[in-house]
Amino acid sequence: MKKTNWNYRSILFLFSRLILGCVFIYACFDKILHPAAFSKAVYNYQILPDAFINLTAIVLPWLELVLGFVFIIGIWMHGAVVISNLLLTMFTVALLFNLARGLDISCGCFSTSAMESSANIWTVLQHGLFLVPAVYLLFMVYFSRNCDVLKPKT
Amino acid sequence: MKGLWQISLILAISAGLGIISNALRPDSLRLFGEWSSESGLTTPTGECLIISLSEAEKLFAENAAIFIDARSNEDFKKGHIPGAKSLPWQDVDRRFIEVIEDVSPDMIIITYCDGESCKPSYNLALFLFDMGFKNVRVLANGWSVWQEGKR
Repeated sequence: MKKTNWNYRSILFLFSRLILGCVFIYACFDKILHPAAFSKAVYNYQILPDAFINLTAIVLPWLELVLGFVFIIGIWMHGAVVISNLLLTMFTVALLFNLARGLDISCGCFSTSAMESSANIWTVLQHGLFLVPAVYLLFMVYFSRNCDVLKPKT
Repeated sequence: MKGLWQISLILAISAGLGIISNALRPDSLRLFGEWSSESGLTTPTGECLIISLSEAEKLFAENAAIFIDARSNEDFKKGHIPGAKSLPWQDVDRRFIEVIEDVSPDMIIITYCDGESCKPSYNLALFLFDMGFKNVRVLANGWSVWQEGKR
């Protein structure tokens, strides 16, 4: 019988993957159900050119869903860590940018509801927090000498 | 490069799922929709809620409209349109009755907040519209344009 040899690195790796996977899947549901409301949230950020607002609102939630499943299943990690780091960095910068210029907008991060409270510094910190497992995974996938964490030793 | 083809694959699958699901929806969005600063500000029936600064100033001068400030209490205390009532969007459920009790449903109500596309004034206008106030308007980027108009 094969014995799975879990060490703390593979457990941390798995934990980070599952956290990110769950966050992305949780984040996408409301946006997939209400693309028109999400397109308004994207529009309110006043960052993207008008022509790309709908396309972003249509594709981004599905990208989050696919990333969520990819992280949970544990495949295509080289691609997933790059996209997730880019996405989370862009979300954080966009929130910071709008806070800095004083726009009072809803985050649109986990809900498209108009009742969602305005984005504030805590929303930014929350995104910064999600970057922790994402950066850890990026480091482990691309820069760690020990690639065994990608699969537990058997 | 292992990463590159995986990135391409993830993006292609997501784009495919998004575009197909959108095409299948009864309320599908146009892929390249037209947005303007006022395009989002309509009632559920499609009526434009926007009022221009000059119209708002005229109604203000005639004392023919009630201005409602949807910003926070702190922002309201720092400065507001004279005579405006404060109804922060985040407190709307708690303070709605108290603020709106002496306003008749056929009065013109102008909501405002601050920022090029600030949402609270629009959300508040829709809320009031749903509550039966049919003459609701939004002064977009209200506090900023009002101050500029007074300079």
